[in-house]
Amino acid sequence: MNDRPSPKLAMNRREFLGLSALGLGISLAGARAAAAAPSLASPDDVAILYDPVKCVGCKACQMACKRWNKLPNESTDPLGIYESPRDLSAITWNIIKLRRAEAGWHFFNYQCMHCTDAACVEVCPSGALSHDPHGFVALDRVKCIGCGYCTQFCPYGVPHLRVVNLLTGEAKAAKCIFCQDRIRTGIGGPACAEICPVGALTWGKRGKLLEKARARVAELQAKGMNARIYGEHEAGGLRRLSILLDEPEQYGLPSVPKTPAFARAWQRVIQPLGNVVFGVTLAGILAAFLFVRRKIRMEEVK
Amino acid sequence: MTVQLKGRAETVTIQWIPKYTVMERLGHWIHTATFVPLAITGMILYFPFLQPLAQGEAGLFIRLVHRGAAVIFGLLPIIYAIVEPRRLLLHIREFLPRKEDIGWLKAAPAYYLLGKHEVMPPQGRFNAGEKLNGLMMIVTWFIFGITGVPMWFGKGIIPPELFRWLVVFHDLAMIVAVCMLLVHLYLAVAHPLMWAGLVSMRFGVTSAEYAAEHHAKWYYGPKRAMEIWEAKKREGAHH
Repeated sequence: MNDRPSPKLAMNRREFLGLSALGLGISLAGARAAAAAPSLASPDDVAILYDPVKCVGCKACQMACKRWNKLPNESTDPLGIYESPRDLSAITWNIIKLRRAEAGWHFFNYQCMHCTDAACVEVCPSGALSHDPHGFVALDRVKCIGCGYCTQFCPYGVPHLRVVNLLTGEAKAAKCIFCQDRIRTGIGGPACAEICPVGALTWGKRGKLLEKARARVAELQAKGMNARIYGEHEAGGLRRLSILLDEPEQYGLPSVPKTPAFARAWQRVIQPLGNVVFGVTLAGILAAFLFVRRKIRMEEVK
Repeated sequence: MTVQLKGRAETVTIQWIPKYTVMERLGHWIHTATFVPLAITGMILYFPFLQPLAQGEAGLFIRLVHRGAAVIFGLLPIIYAIVEPRRLLLHIREFLPRKEDIGWLKAAPAYYLLGKHEVMPPQGRFNAGEKLNGLMMIVTWFIFGITGVPMWFGKGIIPPELFRWLVVFHDLAMIVAVCMLLVHLYLAVAHPLMWAGLVSMRFGVTSAEYAAEHHAKWYYGPKRAMEIWEAKKREGAHH
């Protein structure tokens, strides 16, 4: 009991060295993640521009989205013909809603904003949500573990969880993915923008679309409308650009999408700090272990 | 029990006295057997470099392990409270901080690092460090439960603003609990002064001599333990 064979101690020491090296590595990885700031959207990224003045609310975009992404039908309130279904869901990624702005009633299209500073990408623990080289926020359903963090952190409430089993927690996140398969294979642009018969939804290079949006805003302002662009700077630059005819809040859109800051505080501050705590604990244990081995003789312990 | 020490002629006689009940030990080891898998499966979502393990089929399995272990981890203290209500109250009383715990803190460096047990004031069945560990386990058990259950069943029901805080507090509780576990593990397995701890937790007994030396307040009772300690201090001052 009192006399431990030394090879066991030597192995213990190696184990502890390995553990503390792991702790240090983890801390360094955390520090590096904290240093990497999100870059702004590139003018060469693909984007969608929505012009509510041109929109006639035909819902062709909604239908095209369902058809291309093979999304099932959703039972709706029979009275809600202009807003049906009522909101985005795991099986409805694109929706037309009726909004009342300064200029009066008009339609407004909601889908994923494809943020540069994307809270969902930030919090996704499995790497299922990521920025495609084209810029938009892609979703890999195979990698998704259904933790639902994205649904809770998105400042626009876009991702939704399709729960398969509440008990086991089996679920998959779902949201507009910019028709990632169409873009990647070069079939064409997102289904919603391709089908829009009135040019309210258009797609192309973000830089070009911003120029177009600026010209359109000037045109609408000349007609006396309180027009503005939404998405040029919000959340590091959105890839779904919108022309608004009122304050963003009238559309349920935050003027300053705040959530990414919280997401960053969690994953870039609290988690790396936790890593430092782990590293210090492991290093402390290692130091104590090496020190105590020399100072306290088992033979003298009662 | 007599033990023949390796490389020494004489034998040592150890008188074993009971320290932990069967239920205490069972509770301890079930807690261990659920907390360790919980910590490991939880880390997979916590550490970005473990991400590949969270994906696909592996992720499904890990989620099931985390939830299965969480059910037992959560129910264990409740079952213990039903089976051993008086014992549980005793533990809570034992774990509560007292003024004399400062004495432990002052003596801890010399005691743990240099092995000077004569500087350590008499301790109860749990010394102040073990009390802190026990208390943190109770606190983090509550935090894990309060944050974990809504994270499991509350998605889409509870407001996102609340959910975000639940995730953060779940993480913070994990950081505290895992660090406590690491220190606990070192002391239990590798610290020479604590050799009797693992024996007690496995077989429920401790050496009478060890108990007198390290848990005097429990072995002699608080009053007698203080008398003995004061006497020892006076004796030490004479030399």
